[in-house]
Amino acid sequence: MTKDDCYLLGHITKTHGVNGELVFFLDVDDPNVYEELESVLIEVKGDLLPYFIESIAIVKGSRAIVAIEGIDTIEQASRLIKANLYLPLDNLEPIEDNTRFYFHEIVDFRIIDSNEGELGTVTTVYNMDTQDLIEMSYQGKEVLIPINSDIVHTVDRTNKTLNVTLPDGLLDVYLSDAPDHTDAPDGDEAYDED
Amino acid sequence: MARSLKKGPYIDFRLDNKVQTMNDSGKKSVIKTWSRRSMISPDFIGHTFAVHNGNKFIPVYVTENMVGHKLGEFAPTRNFRGHVAKKDKGKR
Repeated sequence: MTKDDCYLLGHITKTHGVNGELVFFLDVDDPNVYEELESVLIEVKGDLLPYFIESIAIVKGSRAIVAIEGIDTIEQASRLIKANLYLPLDNLEPIEDNTRFYFHEIVDFRIIDSNEGELGTVTTVYNMDTQDLIEMSYQGKEVLIPINSDIVHTVDRTNKTLNVTLPDGLLDVYLSDAPDHTDAPDGDEAYDED
Repeated sequence: MARSLKKGPYIDFRLDNKVQTMNDSGKKSVIKTWSRRSMISPDFIGHTFAVHNGNKFIPVYVTENMVGHKLGEFAPTRNFRGHVAKKDKGKR
């Protein structure tokens, strides 16, 4: 099985205790979905090797303490630190609802604004702790769009489009030709534009 | 040390004025700002701010759970890279 057939579940952060247990960081929206995980693919030197899980306990902050079959000592466990974890794409629950989507599936989708019509295509998605952003290529420029229900409404998977309502003036922020620093204030009292 | 409570939250005067004007008129357009240190007040909810990160403007759509934080917290200045690896993550 190759990485193309899998999705990234997270990575191994450190060992736990002296009996070969490991701490997994689960880079997912809802870690509790994986509390009955039976096996996982661990990337070792570029290859994905299957490992069976003896026990898994989800703890605070997307972390899980995991005991893996065949790994009984801290020495064996420490060799796997920083290794990426994968699961087959078949395990990823398909989303039928058109108001929800996985970030990786909307890349190259066309963005249709309810006022402006077709704008551009999704080039990448920034998934950050604070907020998620779509990067759109529009008239040769990079435009960032916050992912929020008030802005991004629905996704059409058959036509590969994303229906949005951009806030007034968002495109103007990115399309103005003047360099940003020309508008920037000099002193503390003038941090706001206009 | 935390800011003294008697001073109240810091919000850039002109930024606050702009939000108040928009709230009065019912208009909601993107507000460009360099004032990363301004605290997000409940009046900001539903507005979109283009917050400068030293290089470009990052749009920040303000929601309820952002109140009390600073605008700059939502416009990272470093390691601002996209990664669209296949993950169990998405809009819910």
